[in-house]
Amino acid sequence: MTSRGTPSRFLKSVLQNGVGRYVCQLKRISIIFSKKAQSSLGVREFIEEGVVDYANKNPGTVVYVSPQPCRIPKIVAEYLNGNMREEMITSKTSAQISELLNKLSSQSGLEVIRIRKPFHTDNPSIQGQWHPFTNRPLSITPVRPPKQGSAE
Amino acid sequence: MALRRGSATLWRTCSPLLPGLRLPLPGVVCPHSTAAGDLVARTSLSRPPWREIVPEPEEEQRRRHAALVSRVNQQIERQGFGRLFAVVHVAGRQWKITDEDLVLIENHIDAECGDRIRLEKVLLVGAEDFTLLGRPLLEKELVRVEATVIEKTESWPKVHMQFRKRHRFQRKRTIIQPQTVLRINCIELAPRLT
Repeated sequence: MTSRGTPSRFLKSVLQNGVGRYVCQLKRISIIFSKKAQSSLGVREFIEEGVVDYANKNPGTVVYVSPQPCRIPKIVAEYLNGNMREEMITSKTSAQISELLNKLSSQSGLEVIRIRKPFHTDNPSIQGQWHPFTNRPLSITPVRPPKQGSAE
Repeated sequence: MALRRGSATLWRTCSPLLPGLRLPLPGVVCPHSTAAGDLVARTSLSRPPWREIVPEPEEEQRRRHAALVSRVNQQIERQGFGRLFAVVHVAGRQWKITDEDLVLIENHIDAECGDRIRLEKVLLVGAEDFTLLGRPLLEKELVRVEATVIEKTESWPKVHMQFRKRHRFQRKRTIIQPQTVLRINCIELAPRLT
């Protein structure tokens, strides 16, 4: 759909991530797959080889591996701001699955919709916002009350 | 008046900058001018709306510039400024940034999430009382702008559609671009200027 018909948001970060320390926004990853189905072949391979390395590389994320009887293997990712993303990994290879996991771990949990502006500031003006009277010389001399000495 | 050319005419009629206007006949002159000399009556069009520029002798100008530079130098040395802003050239665009700003770049950067990056092409740095302009860039020993990579995502799926009427031609595809979000951590000025 067009950008007018779809929701949009402004660029922001979760709880000013990056101002102090950087915190990985991925909280939990659950890999749901089946032990015998053909579609989970790649997932089973990934779990044999790559899951432990991935878990060691991302110490801030909890990895759950749950084999259950299911038709479509899935990855459910939960983020620190409460959002959840489900990705289907039917008939994907081990390499593709690890690439997908890296992508999920480098995202923050904000929605993937149109971002209105590619920047965000909390202090837009430092030298003062321009208005039509900045840097404009006065056209008349300032009006002052008459001096007391001359009046008396 | 600097623009007066001998005969007393209105500034607007003798300025060459206005293309649409035609000069009136030279015989047409303000009738009140003659008695006291070459003076035109003061109306809203008798003088240009900007201030009259008086050329300054070079010595004074040099002294004034040296005084200004030393004042700015002193302020930079004792770090007596508050928040700094900078204009930085990143990813083919120029951004005006301060501390704690977010910047979205529409491509992939070879740095992991959480890495600290230094932005080197700085064109301008300003504080509340002074601004330093580069020609075109400022030196690397003078300014230091640091940023952290917060997020590396993909954009929302944009629709790219081509359609030509009456020719049964249409193509449609979705474009997803890699994006990087940078958080500007700090902008620092080094106390040394010539």
